Formats: sequence, structure tokens, C-alpha cells
Amino acid sequence: MKTLLLHIRILATLVLRETRASFGTSSVGYLWAIVTPAMSVGLLVFIFSLVDRQPPFGTSLAVFFATGILTIEFFNKLSNTLLTSFSANRALLNYPLIKEADTLYARTLLISATYVMIMLIFFGSLFFADAGVMPQNPHMVFQAFAATMLLGFAIGTLNAVIASLWHSWPQIEKVLTRPLIFVSGVFYLPSRLPTEAQNVLYWNPVLHCVEWFREGFYGNYNSAIFDPYYPIAVSLGILLFGLAGERFTRKSRSMA
Amino acid sequence: MIELNCVSKGYKLKGVRKQILDKASIRIPRDQNIAILGRNGAGKSTLMRVIAGVELPDSGQVMRSSKVSWPLGFKGGFNSTMTGVENIKFVSRLYGHDSRAVIDYVADFSELGKSLKLPVKTYSNGMKARLAFGLSMAIDFDTYLIDEITAVGDQSFKRKSKAVFDEKLSGRQIIMISHSMQTIRKYCSAGLFLEGGKLYYYDNIEEIIRDYKLMLAQ
Repeated sequence: MKTLLLHIRILATLVLRETRASFGTSSVGYLWAIVTPAMSVGLLVFIFSLVDRQPPFGTSLAVFFATGILTIEFFNKLSNTLLTSFSANRALLNYPLIKEADTLYARTLLISATYVMIMLIFFGSLFFADAGVMPQNPHMVFQAFAATMLLGFAIGTLNAVIASLWHSWPQIEKVLTRPLIFVSGVFYLPSRLPTEAQNVLYWNPVLHCVEWFREGFYGNYNSAIFDPYYPIAVSLGILLFGLAGERFTRKSRSMA
Repeated sequence: MIELNCVSKGYKLKGVRKQILDKASIRIPRDQNIAILGRNGAGKSTLMRVIAGVELPDSGQVMRSSKVSWPLGFKGGFNSTMTGVENIKFVSRLYGHDSRAVIDYVADFSELGKSLKLPVKTYSNGMKARLAFGLSMAIDFDTYLIDEITAVGDQSFKRKSKAVFDEKLSGRQIIMISHSMQTIRKYCSAGLFLEGGKLYYYDNIEEIIRDYKLMLAQ
């Protein structure tokens, strides 16, 4: 019990420090972190509505894009920020209470809380602007969020371990994840693709998270491709590798 | 009580392997202040980092049954983009201290004044050392690990540091690395000799100083 409380205190301290380090001193800094992604989705929706595009599904272009883009941004933010957590937090290891894995947990908590705010603000203002819809299955929206968080945490942890062993990894990871926005069903309805394409896209776990989110938002989405077990199984498998890798390479990283 | 059980620790730098500890076992009793002695490059600071738990041994166990500090030195683990106050808040939260009280204590001790509200990267080395020393004296530990910390600042600041140091650390355990035999005689009653990957415990401070001087004379 005492160790649990200690660990909670350490995590809370790290989250506060991360907040300061990533958003600056002023509260405006945090506000920008929330507003920027919401605005970039808004801009995209605006451009597409100028060319008079019909939403691939439902009545709102904004909801359709946002469910895709915000999920991908949440995932990307986690996997990219965790990637640098070992190198960025070296000074912290001077304090024996803090273990390297704690910095991964703290960053995951902070980013997830930030994306809860982003999504609440974005979908909330859409709803009040009368362009949005209420999620039909709110519990599935929560599940989708949690699944994306798990996937981002798993891949981010593995990224951090690989980056600490191989310094070119950040650049390579960037190239590998670049096509993500095109293969995750942001601009099109995956269920309407030919079966051959669906069979290929099925391998992308982020696509399942996007579809999950939409299943929660629309009552009758009926995705032909969505499988909740797939992203979770992929996440758990990668997380096993990531955490085991963290454990086995810990000594080589602790060298000053 | 701190106990090292069959601890090995080595480095490989540019292909050269250097063994700091080679299956070393030692029990450090709570009621003695310990000096760590050994020749230059023997790995005294690494030994201290292993005792603190900031570096993992390659094999073996390190057990601590009391609250042991981080290795106190000239530069703490400061985030240079954060201000002095923010760094103080972070450490006091981490160790469960009231940050207000710690800030007041460090501000009073370090004489940094308004600079505490500036990022640490704007500090001179002396200012950083004052911040690090003040902060480490504000946190309560059972055992303080001290790596050459005692001499920072000008004459008056040194006097003040020494007064705080003596007052704060009376009744606490000290494990220290120092090149000054005078300092070691003043604070320590026992010693650890690090030589060739092995640790030797002396319960008499004069004997370890004698052996250390003999080794240097060789």
C-alpha cells in the first residue's frame, strides 16, 4: 500500500513536470496544445466543404473526418512522444526514486488527458454548432479511446527502447508512419472498398481504432472490417516486447 | 543498513573493459559515517551511484533499509529550461515535502533571490552549486551520499554551508567521497577502501587513511 502511494506520488510529480516541459509556463501554452489539433481538423473540414464533398457516411463531414484524424493524431502523439522519453529524461535518473519506465507512464497519462480535452472541446463545439451528432454508443467511444491509448503506449514503449539502441530510429519511424493517414480510413469509408483492399487494410491496427470510434459515434455504422480483438492483441503483443526490451536494456542505458 | 551482496559492475568504453566492482560484498552499519577511499579512477563515484540505486549493478544485489539520498554533488538533476523554483518544487513533490517550505528554505540559504524565477540555464556554475546544495539540505534522508560537495562559493558562503551541513547532518548517516583527509577525519568514523574491484571495510578511520597514503606512496 505504501509503495503504491509512493508510486502514485512519483507519477503525479512527473506528470506535472511534463506538463510544464511541454506546454510552457503560461496556461495559454496548454490552451494552444488543445486548440491547435482541434483547429487543424476544423480547417480540413472547411476546405473539403468548400469543394462540396458529401460525407462518406452520416450527415456531418466534420464528424467523419474528426473521428479519423483525432484518433490518428492521438496515436501519433503517443508513439512519437514516448520515443524520446529516455533521451529527454536522462537528468531525472539522478533521483533514485524515478525509474525510466515511469517517464513512459507519465507521458501517456498527460497526452491521454490532453486528448480527452481536445475531443470534448471539438465534438462539444460541433454539437452546439448544430453540425454534430451525439455519440450513439458512448461506451464504445470510451473503448475506442482506451484501445488507441493502449496501442500508442505499446508502440511508443517499443519506439523508446529501439531509439535508445539505434539512433537512426526516429527518422526511420517517421518514414514508416507517414502513410498512416491514408491507410486508416480518414477520407473514405473502409467498408465500401473492394474486399482485396479490405483484406490488406485489416492489418493496420489504427484503422480498427478509427472504425471502433465510428461504431460508437454512429448507431448504424456496421463496419465490414472492424474487429475489436485485433488492435488489442497487437497492442499486448508489442507491449510485451517493449516492456521486456526495456527491462533487458535497462543496464546499458544506466551507464553514465 | 546498506548491504551489497556479491555486486559486480563494469564498463566497456571504446573497447576497453573496466571492472569497478568484482563480486564485492559489504555491510555498511547505520551508526557509522563512512568515507569512501580509493585511487583516482577506481570508481568511487560509480560505487556511490550503485549504492544510491541510480545505477544498476551487472549482477548481485544492493539492499537499503533506510531512506538514502541521491548522490549529492555540484550539479543536481536540474532541468535547465525550468526555473529554479520549478526545479525545487519538482524535487520536493517527488520526496513528499511541502514545496512552499522547501522553496523558502532554499531561497534563504542559496541567496539566489530573484534568479530563482529564471531558467536554470541562465545560472553560473556557482549559482547551480548553491541551488543543488541548498536543495539537498532541505530534503530529509537517513543517509546522505556526498560526492565532493563541501566546498562551493566564496569564503562567507563556505562558512554558512558548513554550519548548515553540520547542523543538518548531525544524527544522520553520511557516506562521503572527499580528497581532503581533514574533512574525512572530521566527519567519518569508518571507511570503505575500493581497490581492484574489491571493497574493504575499516572500522578505524586512521587505519584506512594510513593504508590509503601507503598506497599513494607506492
